[in-house]
Amino acid sequence: MKLTPKVFSVFLLPALVYYLTMVILPIGLSFYTALFDWNGIGQATFIGLGNFKELLFNDPLFWQTVKRNLLFALFSMAEIPFAFLLAALIARFFRRGQRIVAAYFLPVILSAVVVGQLWQAIYHPLSRGGLLNQILVLLHLDSLTRAWLSDPNVAMYALYFVALWQYLGYHVLIQYTGIQNIPHTLQEAAIIDGANTWQIMRHIVFPLNIPFFKISLILAFIGSLQAFELIMVTTGGGPAEATEVMSTYMYNQSFLNLHYGYGSAIASFLVMFSLLATFVLNTVFASLEKRYDIGG
Amino acid sequence: MYNRLLKIKPLLMLLFLAMLVLIVGCGKNDSANNSTDKGQVKLVFQNIYPDETATNHKVMKKIVNAYMDQHPDVRIDLDSLNIDQQKLKLKTQASGKNLPDIFVVNASAQMKPFVDEGLLAPLDDMLDKNTLRQTFQEGILNYYTFDGKTYALPDGNNIGVMYYNKQIFSDLGLTPPQTFTELIDAVKKIKSEGIIPIAIAEKETWTGSILFMNIVLRTNNGPGFLDDVIAGKKTFHDPAFIEAIEAFEELVDAGAFQEGATTTEYAEAETLFRTGQAAMYYMGTWATSGMETSDHKDYIDVFPFPTVHGKGNVRDFMLAPGSAFAIAQNSPHLEQAKDFLNYFMLQWPKENFEMKAAVGLAQHVDGDFQKAGYSDISINVLNLFQTVQGGDLAFDNTMKPDVAQVHLKAIQRLFVEKVSPQDIADEHQKAFEKSYAQ
Amino acid sequence: MHSRPQPNLGKWFITIFIIFPLLITQLYPLLWLLLYSLKNNDEILSGGIFSLPSYPRWENYVIAIQNGHYLQYLFNSLIVTFSSIMILLFFASSVSYVLSRFRFRFSQHIFLLFLAGMMLPMQSALLPLNLMFKNLHLLDTRWSLIFTYSAFAMPISVLILTNFMRSIPRELEEAAIIDGAGPIRLFTSIIFPISRPAMMTVSILAFISAWNEYIIAATFISSKSLKTLPFGAYSFVSQYAVNYGAIGAYLILAALPMILIYVFLSEWIMRGMLEGAVKG
Repeated sequence: MKLTPKVFSVFLLPALVYYLTMVILPIGLSFYTALFDWNGIGQATFIGLGNFKELLFNDPLFWQTVKRNLLFALFSMAEIPFAFLLAALIARFFRRGQRIVAAYFLPVILSAVVVGQLWQAIYHPLSRGGLLNQILVLLHLDSLTRAWLSDPNVAMYALYFVALWQYLGYHVLIQYTGIQNIPHTLQEAAIIDGANTWQIMRHIVFPLNIPFFKISLILAFIGSLQAFELIMVTTGGGPAEATEVMSTYMYNQSFLNLHYGYGSAIASFLVMFSLLATFVLNTVFASLEKRYDIGG
Repeated sequence: MYNRLLKIKPLLMLLFLAMLVLIVGCGKNDSANNSTDKGQVKLVFQNIYPDETATNHKVMKKIVNAYMDQHPDVRIDLDSLNIDQQKLKLKTQASGKNLPDIFVVNASAQMKPFVDEGLLAPLDDMLDKNTLRQTFQEGILNYYTFDGKTYALPDGNNIGVMYYNKQIFSDLGLTPPQTFTELIDAVKKIKSEGIIPIAIAEKETWTGSILFMNIVLRTNNGPGFLDDVIAGKKTFHDPAFIEAIEAFEELVDAGAFQEGATTTEYAEAETLFRTGQAAMYYMGTWATSGMETSDHKDYIDVFPFPTVHGKGNVRDFMLAPGSAFAIAQNSPHLEQAKDFLNYFMLQWPKENFEMKAAVGLAQHVDGDFQKAGYSDISINVLNLFQTVQGGDLAFDNTMKPDVAQVHLKAIQRLFVEKVSPQDIADEHQKAFEKSYAQ
Repeated sequence: MHSRPQPNLGKWFITIFIIFPLLITQLYPLLWLLLYSLKNNDEILSGGIFSLPSYPRWENYVIAIQNGHYLQYLFNSLIVTFSSIMILLFFASSVSYVLSRFRFRFSQHIFLLFLAGMMLPMQSALLPLNLMFKNLHLLDTRWSLIFTYSAFAMPISVLILTNFMRSIPRELEEAAIIDGAGPIRLFTSIIFPISRPAMMTVSILAFISAWNEYIIAATFISSKSLKTLPFGAYSFVSQYAVNYGAIGAYLILAALPMILIYVFLSEWIMRGMLEGAVKG
């Protein structure tokens, strides 16, 4: 349809103005602040792109955090096919599947404080009764026991796992919503035509569910970039920066080191970075959707 | 600094205002004002005593209520937050110039940015009322004084001590170590019995830092190392600093700390010690009141940190002047806020004494601790206070925040990795030069 | 697919070996939290993960409700969260309707604009928002939270809703257009009702983030009468002492309404879908 002035002013304009002032304006201000040497309280000195130069070319710690975030994003995205499979199985075998989905969703509901405390107890060193280490001992894998969150070599992976566990239900919910959204008539017609479960999956459920893969992927990516609270609750970025990611690094620079301008540069980088990634994902999926002729 | 930009772009603000009118009519609300319906003066008192079941909150509330009873024209609203959020909130408010009337800052270097920006009201006139100044221990206000003006009043004054479990020590035939070598020997002995030698909460990186800085206080043969670095008289490559790192690594290698120390939270470490799972616990004396409630309290005692390789004086301590109450310079009710804080600080030692929480106050306490039923551990700590000759402040109260962060992380690294002392010193020196060059 | 459930071997196999084991790992945190909330500090900090308390300390709940001002904060959280969701749904659905159903020059740009907001860390918005609300005299009012929560939930919501609305077959509208329906009626009578499952997903996500949010709330709210649930939980975290048992009790009490609302909503979504299926 064509966009008329009436539709524009009723549906788009108010929301757009609201969103611009509340979200885009602070983003703009972040970019602006990033041009200053500023402790957040006193006088600011304009230094042009100085913060960005320092960040991109002279701060090895920052690139470490980017690397961890990318790895995090990769793991989070790899989880989605599994979530889809689960959602499909639940939809296939349970009449009231939404109750099972609701149960899966529980960890998402719990706040980061709960999840962090719980997993700290699981990851505790053996001498302090950590559950995971006790299980390893039971399985005669004593050599693998360690203080999972205090070992710089594994701490980050231990945290990735917690996030994967916590957000499994999130993606199951999205995939389940998508599968439920597929008209039953299509599948029933396919069954009458003699299609088997695999064929229905391959030719009906999977292609029609593409928009929901996209949502899941983008959310997984964005969520992995944020990952702030869980890290703050469990390791605080330690030991020795081994679990520092972009968001915690930004927070530390802005509010602990009082390098607010520098912190803003990190925030700006984050925004650009995620925008770029989302754009790429969106483009990839646009061509996929075209191929399967959905939406648009 | 945004003010400037917002003046250039008032259009967006206008649009936003229009939106507000559209959605909510008028969003104004009485709590945005500074006075209440009854024409009372409203003071917001932002504090870090959020737990209503804790002694500090009870003492605060009692004094505040008593003041409001005497001054029906004043209403004091408590904004009680846990400390991390309070710090973040205060920085945000400082940046927006919308500080509450009364709030909490930390000593020395940590409050300096606020002082430099002229956000804090000088309190000298108020200190001279009702002889409030005389209630404070000698010299303590210096940590809150810049260019001869005092800007904040501390709620406490503590020193770093080693708490130890007498039961465990006597079972193993140990006595409180006098030297670092004896400390290492004790650590090894305790460790071989399957007991944690020293509990530490290294998730909160300042805990490892004060222990480390206490070693520096010894290897430097006295206080003032960081001040000398700032003054350009020494560098972090100084033998005293290197020796301290080596000594600290020796402690780590001897297995002095519990496994998973870098994820251990404050209360967790203290529990390890209070429940007899750890033999020693290095902490500020504020921890004493927590020990009072322990089942093991009769077995708990303290000793000063030992000398290191024959250096240092056991009468020098890590000094921890407490968080302090300050008043916003632009408070619309500056005089009332000062009057209230004057009353508050005069009552503070008395009320804390009655609640058995008067160990480690920054003010003189009238009263006989023994008679008031304070336990042995409290009395011993108070006796240790009498021996104090001097000492250093914590790293983050001495150096700028960005150098302090590098330091805190470097010390945390010593818990999990083998790093050469030279590298740690380099890291410190680089961060220091970068920050102080500006 | 769920219209033809087949009680066969495959179902039992999958149920027993895949669905239930996972279900247990997702559900046991609640049990753990329940145990946690009935212990004291020493039991929590030095006991094993599923160790039982020596006796259940129900007083943790009394402390949580009384000293944590549970009822007052619950009331505030409910108001703030529901108002945020209302504003969010109003704006996000109208934007998504335009983005999914109308072709115009800047539609891709506007969509990107919404994506850009997805990644702004809340912490870096603190200072600008504080200043904005200060100038508008909205600090220490519920509006400061409602506006922030609803606006920051917009990007994800627009993403989900736009995608969902794009997948709604156009035949439905074409019939209505022939009957003479305008864009507003198309929205209110077709697109909005059909989008109910996606709206619910969006609401649930917004609900969770608003319900648990603390940094913004702690910064903008100072009056006790306006504080929300996370304040209650964090009030038991002092500088040198933490009351873990009371926190556990508080977190259970804070999660309960959310779980109830979620279960209720998911039933409601299902009913909506079944109705849709009958109509379609």
